Amino acid sequence: MRVPILKLHQYLLISVQVELDDQTALQFQEDLLSKIHVEGSLGVVIDLTSVDMIDSFIAKVLGDVVDMSNLMGAKVVLTGIQPAVAITLIDMGIKLDNVPTALDLEQGLGKLQQELEE
Amino acid sequence: MMKTQSCVEVKNEWGIVAARQAGRSLSKEIGFGSVDQARITTAISELSRNIYLYAKRGEICLGAVERPTKMGMQKGIQIIARDHGPGIPDIRQVMTDGFTTSGGMGAGLPGVKRLMDEFLIDSETGEGTTITTTKWLR
Amino acid sequence: MQPYIISLLNHSKETLIDLWQKELESVRTDNYLDSVSDSVYESTNQNFMQFIMRLVSTDQDQAKEQLSSFAEKYIQSGWPLSYYTQGLQAFRRVVLAILSEQESDVQALLLTFSELEAWIDGIINQLVYDYTGNWEDIIEMQKLSLMELSAPLIPVFESITVMPLIGTIDTARAKLIMENLLDGVIEHRSEVVLIDITGVPVVDTMVAHHIIQASEAVRLVGATCILVGIRPEIAQTIVNLGIDLTKFPTKSTLRKGIEKALELTNKKMVDL
Repeated sequence: MRVPILKLHQYLLISVQVELDDQTALQFQEDLLSKIHVEGSLGVVIDLTSVDMIDSFIAKVLGDVVDMSNLMGAKVVLTGIQPAVAITLIDMGIKLDNVPTALDLEQGLGKLQQELEE
Repeated sequence: MMKTQSCVEVKNEWGIVAARQAGRSLSKEIGFGSVDQARITTAISELSRNIYLYAKRGEICLGAVERPTKMGMQKGIQIIARDHGPGIPDIRQVMTDGFTTSGGMGAGLPGVKRLMDEFLIDSETGEGTTITTTKWLR
Repeated sequence: MQPYIISLLNHSKETLIDLWQKELESVRTDNYLDSVSDSVYESTNQNFMQFIMRLVSTDQDQAKEQLSSFAEKYIQSGWPLSYYTQGLQAFRRVVLAILSEQESDVQALLLTFSELEAWIDGIINQLVYDYTGNWEDIIEMQKLSLMELSAPLIPVFESITVMPLIGTIDTARAKLIMENLLDGVIEHRSEVVLIDITGVPVVDTMVAHHIIQASEAVRLVGATCILVGIRPEIAQTIVNLGIDLTKFPTKSTLRKGIEKALELTNKKMVDL
């Protein structure tokens, strides 16, 4: 199962609609990095509104994807993390504090624009 | 005492997914809210991942439980994660925040403990590990 | 209670009441009932003694009911449980004194007394049960009331909301507050949330931990948290306890917090 990645100007938009199992998550990591490379994208928004569970492994994959994208010159924002998911992650002590977040796709794009203008 | 029980075998990554799904539907059935459903499902994911990482195979058993309280019978969900892997040599060490042997891949057992209400580890080196954890409906 | 004991007690009623009354005087000081007026104390004693004497000849089931309704009146008015437990212990002593005067056969005396003991213990147990049941109910209701002291999320400007926290924050309440906070952030599409702790009397490590966790969760959901309303004593406590709030933007007043929030959302207030 692959997570579709859409291109919008110099940004990449991803809306994760499925429950992320390990393989899908790792495949997504690969696909995203290769797309950033091919398109020369400067910003990525990953929307997690439809994701109802993020465990430590998925959290790590997401954190890594952000670091890896940064190395490739693209800023990443995670959006739409659900309250139940946020509370569970914080309960476990997973803060993901190196990852910029925003409420939704719109605010995420806004944030990226801000960062890229700086 | 577990009223009903179903077990999912964990011997590859799909076992983790299956265990999660079983956990989510059972917790929904019992009546847990969305936040607790997330906590329970994530706890199951972590426990089954540990089985897969360290023991290569094992099982996750889920069941609805009940206990008498002043306000009547209280419902809950009980998860038993069982494997015949190498066992945990130092349980206290493993329950310390920040301790990790997988290079940071798991949240660690202390994280799982915080998601649930009751948490018991029974482990023997060379024999295996059984973790029993319960969450009660408030 | 055996009929012969009933008649025995009724027979010595006057002496019994007399001696018992004297004992009840010492019960008074022990239980801080000195502030109660003499007449009120006297009449409560009379009521109590009459009630017990009547109870002696009542059958068990009726007695239980009568005892519970008797107790309820006094529980509601705040009369201490220890008055009754000590009062009944005094009753026990007085009855033993009277019995031992009248009965010289030790065996018979012991038999009579152990029956009486059981009866008195039954009353004491019932009273303790009623009192503590009532306390536990009150505690449950207060817990619920505290939970109801909800923490509302108030939208003040576009993308800026305020959550005033009032009262003590225990773990159960913190969980509720956190869920409320996150749902509210999403519902109001908030970019900045100001958590005002002016109304939180005590900020210890537990409370600080809950507030910090709440702000971390808010960040994950996509908004920023600013902590406001930190009184000087709270600031002292936080630093003394070694709580690290360096990652958490804070302002002393709501007003300053709002100014900062406006900054963060690229807005500012302009005089017309």
